[in-house]
Amino acid sequence: MIGLVDCDLGNLRSVANALDCLGQDVSVLTTPAGFDDCSHLILPGVGSFAVASARLRDRGLAAAIQAFARSGRPVLGICLGMQLLAESGEEGGTNPGLGLVSGTVVRFDSKHVPMIPHVGWNDVHFNRAHPLLTGVKDGVDVYFVHSYYLPANEAQVLGEADCGQRFAAIVARDNIGGCQFHPEKSQANGLRMLENFCDWNGQC
Amino acid sequence: MASNPVSSVPPTTHDRHGLRRCLRCGLPETYETIEFDPSGVCNICRQKEYKDGQVKWDDRKLTLDAMVEEYRGKTDYDCVVPFSGGKDSAFTLWYLVTQFKLKPLVVQFDHGFMRPTLRANNERTFKRLGVDVISFTPNWKLVKRVMLEALIRKGDFCWHCHTGIFSYPMHIALRYQTPLVFWGEPSSEYTAYYDYKDDQIEEVDETRFNRFINLGITAEDMAGMIKHDFDFDFRDLKPFTYPSLRELKKLKVRSVCLGSYIPWDVKKQVEIIERELGWKGDQVEGMPWELYNYEKIECSMQGVRDYIKFLKRGYSRVTQMTALDLRNERITKPEAERLVNEFEGRKPPSLQLFLDYIGVSETQFNDIVRKTVVPPHQPDFVGMSEAPKTWDFDRWYREPTPGRA
Repeated sequence: MIGLVDCDLGNLRSVANALDCLGQDVSVLTTPAGFDDCSHLILPGVGSFAVASARLRDRGLAAAIQAFARSGRPVLGICLGMQLLAESGEEGGTNPGLGLVSGTVVRFDSKHVPMIPHVGWNDVHFNRAHPLLTGVKDGVDVYFVHSYYLPANEAQVLGEADCGQRFAAIVARDNIGGCQFHPEKSQANGLRMLENFCDWNGQC
Repeated sequence: MASNPVSSVPPTTHDRHGLRRCLRCGLPETYETIEFDPSGVCNICRQKEYKDGQVKWDDRKLTLDAMVEEYRGKTDYDCVVPFSGGKDSAFTLWYLVTQFKLKPLVVQFDHGFMRPTLRANNERTFKRLGVDVISFTPNWKLVKRVMLEALIRKGDFCWHCHTGIFSYPMHIALRYQTPLVFWGEPSSEYTAYYDYKDDQIEEVDETRFNRFINLGITAEDMAGMIKHDFDFDFRDLKPFTYPSLRELKKLKVRSVCLGSYIPWDVKKQVEIIERELGWKGDQVEGMPWELYNYEKIECSMQGVRDYIKFLKRGYSRVTQMTALDLRNERITKPEAERLVNEFEGRKPPSLQLFLDYIGVSETQFNDIVRKTVVPPHQPDFVGMSEAPKTWDFDRWYREPTPGRA
C-alpha cells in the first residue's frame, strides 16, 4: 500500500491515478492514522512552502512523516513535497521543513533565470546510479513547475537540471527520495521512476 | 567520367520506378522508418552492423537466464508463448521447451486464414514438444467488416490480426496469472521503431502496440468507425483491446522478444526446426517458391497483403527478403535485382477471394488503395501480370456465391 499524504494542496489525484495505472493500491492520508498500514509514503504538493509547512505541523502529519522515515520505509517527495523534505524554505518567509534532506529551498534569481516560474519540459542529468533511476533514461526531458529550488551542491543530489541556474532535480538520502519535477506528468521516464520507487526497499 | 556537382545523390541509388533505394540492401525510401546516411546506406543495415558488432550477446544471454529462473515454477505455467506457427514462433517455442525446459502455455490466435501446411506443422510441433495450447478464433463477420474499414482508412486490412496477435495473448497471461510472455523476432530486425541498444531492449507492451502495431486505431476507435452500418456488441472487439496497464503492472508482466537476448539467425533457425520438429515451408503467392518457402507461410491472404504493399509503396516482400539476404551477404546484388524484377508486383489469385470477403469490386479496391499510396511512389494499376496459384489455393475459404446456398 502506497500512502499519499494529503494536506489539501494540489495534485493528489494525478499522482493517485499514475500509481493506480502502475498497479499500486493507494491510501490517502489526511491524519497520522493509517501511516502504519503503508509500505511507502509519497508527499505530493503544489503550492506555497509556508502554507504546506504549517499544515503538516498543525495536523500532526510532519511528525508522522518523520517517524515513518525513521522506520526505514521509503519516502518520496514530489515538487513542493520534495522541497518540504529540506531543512527549511524561504517561500512566504523562512519556515522549517521536515529535515529529511539537507539544505534550504530558495527562490530562483531573476538575473539568471529569465522566466520564473520555471514551467515546462527540461532535461535532467544524473550524477550517479540509484535504485530510483533503474531503466530511467539520462538526459531526457521531464515536466517542471516551480519558482523555488534546492541548490545542487550537495552529495545527496542524484540528478541536476539547469534553467539558468543549476538546481537539484532529484535528491536521495538513505530511504528518502525527492524529485522537483512531476514524475506523474513526465511520460514513460516519470512513470518508470514512480514504479522504481514503489519497488524500492529503501536500501541503496 | 565527369561528376555531377549539383546532385548529392548518384543516380544509381534510384530504381527504375524513380524510388531511392539503399545502396546495400535495396530497401526503398517508401519503407517504414527508413533513413539513409550520407553514404546511401539505410538505418536498418546500420542496425544490423550494431547487432553483429556491438551487442554483448553473452551478457544478454545471462540476462535471459536470470529472467527465466525468476519466473520458473511460480504459477501454472512458466511463460506464455504466442504462436502463429511461422518460423519465428516455432523456433521460439522449440528453444524455450528444449533449452530451458520451460512449461509454456501456447496461445494461437487464428486470424481466419491459416493454411493446411501450417496447421499440420502446428499439430506436429505441439505433439512433439508436449505442450498445452489455447487457440482462439475471432468472429468472422466482425473480421470481414474491420478488414474493410482498415483497408479504407490505412490501406492495410490486417488490423484484426496485428492487434489480436499482440493483445489476445496478454489477456491470456492475465487470466492464467502468468507474467512472462515470450515473443520471437524483435522488430529491430526489420524496422527502426526500436533499435538493438542495451538501454532500449524492446518491451512488447502497450506503448509498442499503440506506436505501430494497431495502425493508430484502437478497438474503441474501430467501434466508432463501424457502428453506423454494422451490428455488433462491443464485447466482440475485446480480443483486440490491450488489457489495462494496471492489471498488467499488478501481475508484473514481462513481455519480451527472445531475439533481444539471443542473436536472431533465421536461416539457421529454420534448419533447426526442420530437423527437430519436421517443420515444412510452403509456397507463398508472389514469391520465388524455391528460395523463400520459409517466410510468411501462415496466411492465405499474404499475397494480397504484398500486392497492396507493392501498389502503395512500390516494393513487396521479394524486396524485403532479398534485402535481408543482401544484408547477410547471402545473395549478390544482380541476383537480388533479377528476383525483384521477375517476381515483384504480380497480382495474386487470392485477390478475388479477398474482394468477395469484404464485398467490393476490383475497381473499388483500386480506388481505395490509390488514396493510401506513399509518395513519391506512383502505382500503375493496369497491366499487372498474374502470380501463379499455390498448391492449396483451391482449399482456401470462399464466401458463398450470392443466390446459392
